[in-house]
Amino acid sequence: MLEIKNLHATVSGKEILKGVNLTVKPGEIHALMGINGAGKSTLSNVLVGHPAYTVTEGSITFRGKDLLAMSPDERSHEGLFLSFQQPVEIPGVSMVNFMRAALNAKRKYWGLEPMDAGAFLKLMREKRKIVELDNKLTSRSVNEGFSGGEKKRNEIFQMAMLEPSMCILDETDSGLDVDALRIVAEGFNKLRKPETSAIVITHYQRLLDYLKPDFVHVLIDGRIVKDGGPELAAEIERRGFDWIKDEVQGAVSL
Amino acid sequence: MQEQQYLDFFHAQRNQLDTCSCDMLNAHRDEALAAFQRLGFPSQKVERYKYTDVAAAFAPNYGISLRKEPFLGDFHAVQDLYGTLADVNADGLTALNTMLVQDMVVINVRAGEQKEHPVQITNTMRATAPLMQNRRLMIIAEAGAHVQVILTDKAEAGQDFLVTQVTEVFVGQGAHVELYDIEDSHERCHRFHQVFSQVEAGGHLTHVTFTLASGVTRNQTDVRLIGAGADAQLLGCAITNGTQHVDNNTLIDHRAPEGTSRELYKYVVDQQSTGAFAGRVLVREEAQQTDSIERNANLVCTEQARMWTQPMLEIYADDVKCSHGSTVGQLNNDALFYMLQRGISEAEARTLLKQAFASEVLQEIPLESLRQRLHVLIEKRFRSCEDCKLCKS
Ligand SMILES: Nc1ncnc2c1ncn2[C@@H]1O[C@H](COP(=O)(O)OP(=O)(O)OP(=O)(O)O)[C@@H](O)[C@H]1O
Ligand SMILES: [Mg+2]
Repeated sequence: MLEIKNLHATVSGKEILKGVNLTVKPGEIHALMGINGAGKSTLSNVLVGHPAYTVTEGSITFRGKDLLAMSPDERSHEGLFLSFQQPVEIPGVSMVNFMRAALNAKRKYWGLEPMDAGAFLKLMREKRKIVELDNKLTSRSVNEGFSGGEKKRNEIFQMAMLEPSMCILDETDSGLDVDALRIVAEGFNKLRKPETSAIVITHYQRLLDYLKPDFVHVLIDGRIVKDGGPELAAEIERRGFDWIKDEVQGAVSL
Repeated sequence: MQEQQYLDFFHAQRNQLDTCSCDMLNAHRDEALAAFQRLGFPSQKVERYKYTDVAAAFAPNYGISLRKEPFLGDFHAVQDLYGTLADVNADGLTALNTMLVQDMVVINVRAGEQKEHPVQITNTMRATAPLMQNRRLMIIAEAGAHVQVILTDKAEAGQDFLVTQVTEVFVGQGAHVELYDIEDSHERCHRFHQVFSQVEAGGHLTHVTFTLASGVTRNQTDVRLIGAGADAQLLGCAITNGTQHVDNNTLIDHRAPEGTSRELYKYVVDQQSTGAFAGRVLVREEAQQTDSIERNANLVCTEQARMWTQPMLEIYADDVKCSHGSTVGQLNNDALFYMLQRGISEAEARTLLKQAFASEVLQEIPLESLRQRLHVLIEKRFRSCEDCKLCKS
């Protein structure tokens, strides 16, 4: 589904990703952990084609196509979705108009007619319920005046609307209270189809308890330095990252 | 001398102008002529005209079509008010309009009368050769009267047009006037609209100026608050692209205590177009407890587009609450990218963001039906023809 090979990327001339390799197969959930500033969000931004980030080396293949050759909106149509670490507020653009534009753009890309207004609103209602997003929020401007947790819930609501095949959740758990975390995580599980894949970026075990990742990777200083199963996340929760850093340094000095 | 052709025209047509017009308009021509001869077209050295080249706009040879039938209206009831706000000796354009005007619309709402429906005046320019038109409008809301007036200015494509318009608005004690001026013309139209308003004690004026499309537009909006507690709300929105030029020059003159004024102008300036906003708020010594907020916000979409903004606050009273400010910015890139990630095309995302920017002015518009109509017109304006479904639906 997604194959990242030797990915190097810079932002403002500074190299942040220094050779990332990662393969995600359909239906797999990969957790990505690592210290602050390691490059996790940079990787998500590069995947969705953020113009501030420049890929200097390497390749990304998504569903057999060259992802780096696609514009950000094409990547979205092809099934890539990023739940942003910090969703932006867009005053004056209503949630309804925003979602309708997004959904219809995708339908157009796949050769489908725009969805009629009634069916669209019904779909909004259904999906809103899954993440228990308040009606009041979907009748406002995009993220405007939403609390931190509401913004994250709204990200998952949008995911529900667009039904992506590859979801990147960048710290979707941060800012959520315990109940909200459960609702969002259970919502995600309900929404995902067997073939839906995900890269879940998180600092905490709790979200992973719900999402049950198949693999856990540790990103440090722009490289994935350790891979493991769910037990790796549990170990990081207990011991932090220092022991991994020591391991890496040990390996280098050998 | 761009003035000469207008003076020649006036002298040659004086007889026809007078015979097919009314006494009220004729009575002011000589004074206007003398003023125009003295003042000429305002040059860009004049502070309030520094952003728009008036003489250049009047240089081409426009035809003026005159009335050929006698004028039947009877304006005696309002003749003492005519020209009292629009001072020919203060401004060459006011003088030119007063000199040449032959026709006029007067909306006079009697004391206490509440007009249930808005009055709409639609001007559609249509001609087979370049045409100039000089318009005059007077709105008089007597004490306690209530009226909404909508002006829509359109022009058929494919021709050059030049319009001068002078509007005088008298808002009596406790009266309520909403004036909506919506220009939706095209790049070959030049328009100079001067609106002079006066609000008496406890009266309220909402004045909304929308430039959806035009060539060169200069709107001058002068409001005097002359009675205690008078209130004015000025709203404006200009959407420009191509080589358009829109200049809004406003003056809110607080001459009495406890007056309130709110002003919001927003521009979306695209391609090579230029926008100018100069808004002066004057709080005189006698205007204690004035409460005034003025804001101008602009979105400049390209490197070539230009926006001049000049909010001015001049306060001579000591007990007032006033603020003013302006911003010039680009589209928010984070918002743009967020939309792209959700699959919205860049063109569509830009359109939605521009619409969102302009919609802040719409939200302030009291007349619900017009607000909705303007929503549609703005959307139409921002969309190129091929991806607009509005005509078809
Ligand atoms: N747009 C940008 N401009 C400049 N520097 C950037 C930009 N984006 C990221 N960086 C820098 O790149 C490095 C990696 O940042 P990134 O956001 O990818 O880290 P992260 O692993 O997601 O961290 P966190 O766990 O705190 O979210 C940091 O040093 C950051 O300051
Ligand atoms: Mg991050």
